[in-house]
Order: sequence, then C-alpha cells, then structure tokens
Amino acid sequence: MPPPVPRRGLRPYRLAGPSWCLPVVFFLAVFFVVPLAANLLRSAPAGEAGGVLFYYEKLLTDGYYVGILLETLKVALVATLASLVVGYPVAYFMVRHAGRWNGVIVFFVVVPLLTSIIMRTFGWRVLLSRRGLLNAGLLDWGLITRPTDIAETSIAVYIGLVHVLVPFMVLSISSVLQGVDVRLEETARVLGAGRLRTFLHVTLPLSVDGIVTGCILVFVVTNGSFLTMLLLGGGKINTLALLIYQQFVTTQDVGFAAAMGNVLMLVAALCFGMQYWLLRRTGIRR
Amino acid sequence: MPTILLYAYMALFLVFIVAPIAAVVAVSFSSSSYIVFPIPGFSWRWYWRIVEYRPFISSLIVSIELALGSALAGACLGVPAALSLARSRHAAAGLLSNLLLAPISVPAIVLGFALLYYLSALSFGITFLSLFIAHTVAAIPYIVRTVLATYRALSPNLEESAAILGATRWQTLRHVTLPLVRPGVFAGALFAVLTSLDNLPLSFFFGSANTNTLPVVMLSYMENQFDPSIAAISTVQMLIAIAALFILDRLYGIERLTAV
Repeated sequence: MPPPVPRRGLRPYRLAGPSWCLPVVFFLAVFFVVPLAANLLRSAPAGEAGGVLFYYEKLLTDGYYVGILLETLKVALVATLASLVVGYPVAYFMVRHAGRWNGVIVFFVVVPLLTSIIMRTFGWRVLLSRRGLLNAGLLDWGLITRPTDIAETSIAVYIGLVHVLVPFMVLSISSVLQGVDVRLEETARVLGAGRLRTFLHVTLPLSVDGIVTGCILVFVVTNGSFLTMLLLGGGKINTLALLIYQQFVTTQDVGFAAAMGNVLMLVAALCFGMQYWLLRRTGIRR
Repeated sequence: MPTILLYAYMALFLVFIVAPIAAVVAVSFSSSSYIVFPIPGFSWRWYWRIVEYRPFISSLIVSIELALGSALAGACLGVPAALSLARSRHAAAGLLSNLLLAPISVPAIVLGFALLYYLSALSFGITFLSLFIAHTVAAIPYIVRTVLATYRALSPNLEESAAILGATRWQTLRHVTLPLVRPGVFAGALFAVLTSLDNLPLSFFFGSANTNTLPVVMLSYMENQFDPSIAAISTVQMLIAIAALFILDRLYGIERLTAV
C-alpha cells in the first residue's frame, strides 16, 4: 500500500506568489523611499557653517518659526476637535436614525469629495466676504449695522477646514458605530439610564476606535494642508505647510523647506504611531 | 439629544455641506464681472470665458490624462501585489502592506517637494513623466487598500476549484480572480482619480506650460484676478466627477463601491 499523500495542511490555495510584489516594491523604493531619504540629506548641509542640524536648530530656536510650529499644531487640534463635534452627531444619525435615508446622507457626506478644494474654499469666500450672502442676511435681520469681512479671518479658515475634513470624520466614526450592537443601548435604557447617560457610558466608549481613527486622520491631513489657509486666512494664519509653499514660490531656500517637510513627516509618523498604540491597547482590553 | 433636535441638526449640517458648493454654481452664472452674491443677473459669459482662456482647457486635459494614467499604472503595479499579500502568511507581508499604504500618510506637499528635487537630479526635470510618477506613487495605496479588502473577503476555494478543474494560473486569474476583485479595483481607482484631480500640493511643484494641472492654473489665476470664471471651471470639474461616479454606478453599483 502506498503511503498517503501528505496534505498541504490548511494552507489555502495561492494564485499570486511573492514575486508579484516585486514591481511595485521596486517602483516605491526608487520613487518613494529614496526621494524621502534624499530629502533628509538635503536638510542637513554637511560642511557648511552652522553644522548638520543648522536648519533644525533655526526651526526649533528662532521665536518666529517656533510660533509657526505651535500655530500649526494648534490649528490642526482645533480643526480636529471641531470636526469631531460637528461630525459625531451626523455619524450617529446615519447609523441609528437614517434608515432608508442612509443612502441620501452618505451621498451628501461624500459629495464634497467630488468637488475641488479650491471650489469649496472659493464658495466660502463668496458666502463670507463683505458682499456675501451672510452679510446680506445679517444686515437684513438688523443683527449688524455695517458689513464685516469674515473671509480673511481665522474663523473663515476653521469653517473651511471643517467643511473639507468632516466627511473623513463622519465615515471613520460611522463605520465603527455600525458594529455597535443597538441592543446594548436598549439594555441600558431598559435598566433605567437616561438618553444622556446611555450615550456617555455605552455608545461613546464603544465608538472610541472610530473617534481615534477619525481624529488622527483629520489631524494629519490638516497639518499637511495649506490651500484653505492661503485662500481664506488672509495672512492671519501661518502654518508649516503654508510656509513650505511660500518658501518654494518665493525664496527657494531648498534646505530649509526640506527640514520643515521632515518635521511635518515626523509629526505625521508620531500620530500614526500613537494610533497604532491606542488601537492595540483597546483591542487587548476587550 | 432628543430625536427632533437631531433631525434639526442634520438639516443644518446638510445646508452647511451644500452651501459653498451651491454658491459657486450660482456665481458661475453671474452676469457681473466681480463676485457678488446673490447674483445680479443670469448669463453664460463665464462659461464662454473658460472656453476662450486656453490654460483652463489645456490644463483640464492634462489633469484628466494624468488622473486616468496614474490610476491605471497604480492598478497595474498595485493589484498583483495586493493579490499576493492578501494570502501571504509570511512575516514580511505585513511590513510590505504598510510600505504600499504609506504614501497616503505622507503629506503630499512633502512628497511633491522631495520628488521634484530627486527627479531633477535624475534629469527627468519638470515633465509630464515626472508628474505621472508622482501621481502613480499617490494612487498605489488607494488601489492596494480596496483590493486587499475585497480579496481577503473571498474564499480561496473558488480559485482552487478552477485549478483542480484544469485551469492554468493565467486562466484562473483572468476568468475567476480578476472578475471577483473588479469592484475593489474600480473603487480604489475611483478614489485615486478623484484625489489626483484635486492634488494641488503634489502637482504645483511640477508646474510648466505643458504640465500645469487644473488646480495649479486655477490657483495662479485667482492670485491675479478674482472673477466668476473660477466658479464656472469648478462647476465643470464637479460635473465631470459626478459623471464618472454615475457611469461607475451604472456599471458596477455604488453600494458595492462604498461597501469596501
């Protein structure tokens, strides 16, 4: 009797071998990893006066640049919290109340992504400027006596940022809320908890993964964006990404711009590291 | 929050989302040559203006070629890798997936800046090819992400059956695997195209008469003059995006696109 043919165990059938990864790995090594590494070298001028860390020293000790760094983080933090506050009820509504209207809500959340950021920013300028709709309305109702220019203020920047970012927040949170069993909330209500208590002690803690994912995504995207600040800020808000843009357009200080870019990358990497750590921790706790 | 308040909030939210977009569409039909809202009268003149102003049309064509080309290249590079990584149990597979998804996490302005000086040093210079390479790097993660998710949800038994019934590797790929992962490929490509069309931070580093994309031209136009032709070209761009979404919905169903 021939020996039984050894089964390959439970290893599933595999159509694509490891070699199918080679082209993309090669492509990304040449056009993604190496350029970013070269950027690191570019920001460290060897042999020049001031030393290898010259630009980083300038960035972290000069009061003006420290101010911009702090403002970048502040703008991103405020925009993230504002998007969370604006977006959470929307995600909650989509999952718990929308029912057959869910598709319509998803459409309206996704529709801004079909328009360019320039279009949306332009739209806010139209609405918020001195001759815009908001001023006309406020004048009509007698709430103000003279038109004020709301465009070109930091408030306009935050409005524009939240408009761009809130879809990401809503989609991050709603995808987690969808997995929360509605019976958990019903149980809390049956056991006598009020709406607010149920929300604070059941719904909110269970959706924390979505909040973390959404917040970190929005925070990182805000750090890298400059268009809203450029077109709506009127010079009132200066951030690192905006400064890189201006450096490139005007002074062409390559080494300094590279150093600022690397700081932005570092912030993004720290954020994603934190996300990984936070989500893994909540995963273990369950 | 009582339910009635939640409904009122949702109404406010929808107004907030739609207001600036509706305002731009309205202004694009303005008869006035500066921007006032509400508009004083209706006219098509700004649509004629974008037809006459060459850079708008030529950059729109560059943008569309670039978006489609980079999504296609991203799919050719990304799909085979995603198919391979989804079923791999090797420790390096997780690391490689992270590499393929990483370009999403790098701020586009940093990637664009780094690529410009790197490609110039390689004497690619400011050409369409440089722009194409940059946008392909950005397209890969979107496609890999959706194809990984779609393929992981499929049972390997389907392909194994094809193989047992005598199909070659190529036949299995062509007649079983690719049709099954197609929604994932198209969803990823759609994200890649939409992102590419609006990727000013990546594109403006490679600006020249032949390589300006639409957002780059719009931004430089806005710096010099502020008239409703920006509103008109924005509206056209939005209609193109909606048309693309509509066609994809007819072909593959929007539910399957957003489900991934």
